[in-house]
Amino acid sequence: MSETNSVDATIDSSDGVSRRITRPDGDLGASLKLLSLWHLFGAATCVIGILLARRGGAAELPWMPRFALQGFFSFAFVAHMASAYGVSARTRWARPASLAVNYLVTLVGAAATLHLFNAYRAIGDLGEGLYKAFVPFLVICVGLIWVLVAGQLLANRPTAVGPNNLRKAGWGLAALAGVWFVIKADPSGLISSFGDSITRSLTMGALALTICSALATRLMWSRAAAQHFGTKASTEQALSGLAFLSPNLIGFLVFFAFPLLFSLWVSFFDWDTTNTHRDFIGLGNYVKALSLDFSSAPQANAGTEALKPGYQVLMNMDWFGQHWLIGARDIEFWLSLRNITVFLVLAVPLAVLPALLLSSVLTSRLPGMKIFRTIYFIPSVAGVIGVAIVWGQMFDATIGWINYLLDLVGLSEAGAGQGWLTERSTALLAMVIVFAWMSFGFNTVLYLAGHQGIPKELYEAAEIDGANPWQIFRKITVPQLRNTTFYVVITTSILALQLFDIVWILARPAPGGPNNATRTPVLTLYQEAFTNNRQGYASALAWVLFIIIFGFTSFQFRRQRDVATSGGLS
Amino acid sequence: MSVVSFSSVSKQYKGDGPLAVDALDLTIEDGEFMVLVGPSGCGKSTALRMIAGLEEITGGELRIGERVVNDVPPGDRDIAMVFQNYALYPHMTVRANIGFALEVAKVPKAEIKSRTEDAAEMLGLTEYLDRLPKALSGGQRQRVAMGRAIVRSPQVFLMDEPLSNLDAKLRVQMRSEIIHIQKRLGTTMVYVTHDQIEAMTMGHRVAVMRKGLLQQVAAPQDLYHRPANLFVAAFIGSPAMNLVTAAVGGSAERPTVTFAEHTLAIDHGAIERYPKLPDRIGSTVILGLRPEHFVMEGDADLPDDQKLTLNVDLAEAMGAEVHIHAHLDVPPVELDGAPVAAEEGEEELSTSTTNIIARVEGIHTVREDEDVRLAVKTHLAHFFDPATGDPLR
Amino acid sequence: MSVRRKGPRATAVRVLTYTILVAVAAIVVFPFVVAVATSTKNSQDIFNYPPTLIPREAQTVPAADVGLEGDSIPLYAFADTDAEFALVDNNVSVAEFRPLDDLERVIRLDVSSGERTGETVTIDGEEEDVFLIEVDGAQLEVYRSRLTSGGLFVDVADPSDARVDLVNLVEPLEQFGPRLENFREVVVEKDLGRSLTNTILVTIIVVAGQIITSIFGGYAFARIDFKGRDRLFLLYLGSVMVPFVVLIIPLFQLMLQFGWLDNLAALIIPFTFTAYGTFLMRQFFVAIPKEIEEAALLDNASRSTILWKIMVPLARPAIATLSTFGFLYAWNSFFWPLVIINSGNPDGRVLSLTLSTLGGRGSADLNLVFAGAVIAMTPPILVFLFAQRYFVENSASSGLK
Repeated sequence: MSETNSVDATIDSSDGVSRRITRPDGDLGASLKLLSLWHLFGAATCVIGILLARRGGAAELPWMPRFALQGFFSFAFVAHMASAYGVSARTRWARPASLAVNYLVTLVGAAATLHLFNAYRAIGDLGEGLYKAFVPFLVICVGLIWVLVAGQLLANRPTAVGPNNLRKAGWGLAALAGVWFVIKADPSGLISSFGDSITRSLTMGALALTICSALATRLMWSRAAAQHFGTKASTEQALSGLAFLSPNLIGFLVFFAFPLLFSLWVSFFDWDTTNTHRDFIGLGNYVKALSLDFSSAPQANAGTEALKPGYQVLMNMDWFGQHWLIGARDIEFWLSLRNITVFLVLAVPLAVLPALLLSSVLTSRLPGMKIFRTIYFIPSVAGVIGVAIVWGQMFDATIGWINYLLDLVGLSEAGAGQGWLTERSTALLAMVIVFAWMSFGFNTVLYLAGHQGIPKELYEAAEIDGANPWQIFRKITVPQLRNTTFYVVITTSILALQLFDIVWILARPAPGGPNNATRTPVLTLYQEAFTNNRQGYASALAWVLFIIIFGFTSFQFRRQRDVATSGGLS
Repeated sequence: MSVVSFSSVSKQYKGDGPLAVDALDLTIEDGEFMVLVGPSGCGKSTALRMIAGLEEITGGELRIGERVVNDVPPGDRDIAMVFQNYALYPHMTVRANIGFALEVAKVPKAEIKSRTEDAAEMLGLTEYLDRLPKALSGGQRQRVAMGRAIVRSPQVFLMDEPLSNLDAKLRVQMRSEIIHIQKRLGTTMVYVTHDQIEAMTMGHRVAVMRKGLLQQVAAPQDLYHRPANLFVAAFIGSPAMNLVTAAVGGSAERPTVTFAEHTLAIDHGAIERYPKLPDRIGSTVILGLRPEHFVMEGDADLPDDQKLTLNVDLAEAMGAEVHIHAHLDVPPVELDGAPVAAEEGEEELSTSTTNIIARVEGIHTVREDEDVRLAVKTHLAHFFDPATGDPLR
Repeated sequence: MSVRRKGPRATAVRVLTYTILVAVAAIVVFPFVVAVATSTKNSQDIFNYPPTLIPREAQTVPAADVGLEGDSIPLYAFADTDAEFALVDNNVSVAEFRPLDDLERVIRLDVSSGERTGETVTIDGEEEDVFLIEVDGAQLEVYRSRLTSGGLFVDVADPSDARVDLVNLVEPLEQFGPRLENFREVVVEKDLGRSLTNTILVTIIVVAGQIITSIFGGYAFARIDFKGRDRLFLLYLGSVMVPFVVLIIPLFQLMLQFGWLDNLAALIIPFTFTAYGTFLMRQFFVAIPKEIEEAALLDNASRSTILWKIMVPLARPAIATLSTFGFLYAWNSFFWPLVIINSGNPDGRVLSLTLSTLGGRGSADLNLVFAGAVIAMTPPILVFLFAQRYFVENSASSGLK
């Protein structure tokens, strides 16, 4: 089919004038006939595919791909048939239709072929190869960095010979190390498994289907085909737009849009992790998660017996001379909501206020401000697991630095051994400190950006008026940064609401402990889904959490959208 | 081969919006230098971009050579374009910029090199070939943009206000260079500008556009001397033509026009050019007098009934000539509800007085607030219908 | 806030400013210093109280110096002398004597020392023999309260001076001694090496994938107009607002169905698409003058030629930003690996996951855990330091402009 390229253009440069001549070409006509046949054949393949997905391979396939493949083949069948007609009748819509079906079959076929070749599993082998051949890998990196540096030198003097040779040397080094890498990584296992899979007929079939669809896509994509079918410029534009967007869009649909809807669907089921058990229970999960029971108790410290069966005591209060009892059906979830509320109230001010103050100091034109800015930012990039491990040690009761330093300045008795992480009263506070420590630097940078929006004249005017720094801060900086503060508070809250990693590490070996004092909603969700295997219920919790978070985000989304669409979106 | 022809070509940006280009009929001959001129928003750039294929055509047919190109992608039209901001590829050297189109067309490397260097030599860019655009001056960048167009030997050159980012002196120099290059290559050229001096000096023919409508296509001299309507009359010429609503009186042999407190007799030469003028005796016309139609009383032998006295608001001595600014206490001539000259975005115009500019010999000394007596070459005057703006021909 | 430039008050403000900044910097940096210090300590040193920032190790002398064979021998110091004592034998019988006139005092000597006087005393209702021992040249009447085993210490400079005492009561001599061996040990013996290469692999592929899909998507959103594009873009933008926890269960199901549980593919493929990156690239492409692209179109360059030869070279800063973000995200991610790599098979683990499973608080291998933490934290910090020009600017402008 590649001979159709000849119709595309001929360039006649003998007289220095290039001309483009398009003539109705016999080759294209023949190719298009072939294409109609291909579409018919494709439709037939789809029927086989549906049958295979329903019967033959059904035992091997989990339910989700089974349904997905059936759906896809049905769509492809219809599209193939329509395209077969459209191409032979030379209708205008035939090209988009044919392109769509061929392109999608190519993509799905390629994904399936890779699966049949065990390519996804082979990524794990690649990890092993990298382990075995780590030194050559480092040499490759050195070579590539070398190339980059030489490229930078080249950018200013494009014809300089020295950097050019340097760059070539870098490539050479990387290539040599690449060979070394392959030898060390020992891909023989990979090659033999590849050899095994290619002999399977299913693999062969998928591969052939993919290649044919790809060729058909290429044929239809050509300008000659566009002219043959009289595709309009705007349609052509839309086609190329969708083509460019497609890798991204497919990822967006498969790994974002579908899971989002699927999650909602699952939340209406009693559904376990291994899919052996699935019952529709409507809003049951939500009812269970949100159920609270208020009752007036006969005496203080009344227990579960005062509540409806199945409820546990969440709170015990004295109001207006009456004992009140609040019970929840899912006590862990409600405890985690309580904890996260406390966490939010403590952590957000602690992560935002220092940022506000520090950013005001950092905007001064004194030397060294950039260094401080950089230092403050480091905790937010260092990786939460490493950071949490370090802080876990700092908070240690017997040999931790926090107790030692408190001891040094006389804030605690020597050897008192305050168990920061093991006592209910302080465990959450410790996590607040770690969270604030990690996030204030990032917020400082956000504030610094906000500072750039404040007109310098305001400060100059205030200084002329004799205001002192604190007055300037109070009367100008803070009010001018109101929008920034709003944004920072919202984003920090959203982060705080999803607290998980810090708790997971700091409260080891029993996350959520001591005695549920640091249990967070995400932790509860994780344990429900992956420890108790209640995926349906966990999904419902996820949606409850989503709605809470959405309350915060919706404030900010409008702003975000305005910023994003400022770049010429109508 | 490389005739560009519009037949009823229209462009509508939104489904129900106004037409940016309204049924344009225009044929640009092979090898012709056509200038599209008009105030901003007149559709000249849109028309140019339709030739380039950068704007979709929503109605009519556009041909380049024999081929209808409505749905031909820009790259297949074999045209080259120079943009107002030059649109050089910032990360490529001058050499790579000029050679890019050839590289895309997979021309052999040796040929790219020789053609690039030829083009560079023609434009005096040889020593800058290995520089990046950011290391060049404005004029040099402009040349690179030209070189990028020339090197491809296209069927049509398109230029979209290519000189408007240059300073005045450089502009004059580049103007003649572009004329020279076009003459040498003989390639069809479509040149868009809002500067009527560029239009008049460069074009074989000039197409004047306004609000999406083509007003007149003619050689520069015709445009100046035989404007097809009031708009063209007002738009072409600098300083602009003086326009005033005048009452026609007198006899068919020697009509008179009266405006403000002045009355002028019209020489018979004008009636030869505007034969319908005598029909308007007893009603009003729009009188158009170019600044150079005025002379100082003693400088020409004209009858007394072709003279008037004006009080000088401002006298600009330019050396060879003096521009005398005066005003008449009548409202300015309007076109579609706005003073005609306002469209060019000139100085804020009064709605109760009409400015008049006369251009007289530079030897005279004229002072502000002085009265001057001017003779008017009324045989060169222009006359338009006040209602339609059409010339009284 | 601008600080006035002159006068004593300005100086005071300046001093105060720097004091605050340095104090906060100290709070920020201190845990990292602790991490580095602990990662180079040996397994005894980590339990010392008070904690120190300087890794210490026991001082030793070669065995030959004290006339013995074998490895080097640790040194100890006694309170009454500056001399260094080598512990030549840590299992000798030690007798504890208490003077009869000061029953609180304990004198430890070799079991063979002391002479029985033949007398007895009654202490706490028990009859004890009275011994006569020589301490500092004086004879002392003592009784033997206990027989135990302890160490024999010999003065290195003067081998004639030998003492016995309980080993744990004598202060060991210590010196600065970083134990870099920790890093090798944690990489090789605690399987961190494999996790490290897995993390590197995941990070490289995720970053490369994100760059490619974001370039394509961002270009389409910025420059190729088609029906419904802007509405789709708003959807993308909205997706940034959906917290990851909502997706975790369905994504887990998806991976289960694909057969990717416990596989690196599950850590890579879903994350090669990023709405944020697409947004970032779009914003950059939108800002490139349209005419540059039109010029290329007229030069008959195809869309992909334009993208790769013109737009991408111009978009280098945006790509650098995106790579930095992608790197930090992929390298540091923990929740998703925790969910997906769940079979206990260490071959599929990434760094953060392995680190979280290495001993908890107070673990005996704390120095190794910290070595692992340092290994995990160093690359992102380095990347940040190199790329901060892009990173800091864009973190700020992502939401605010």
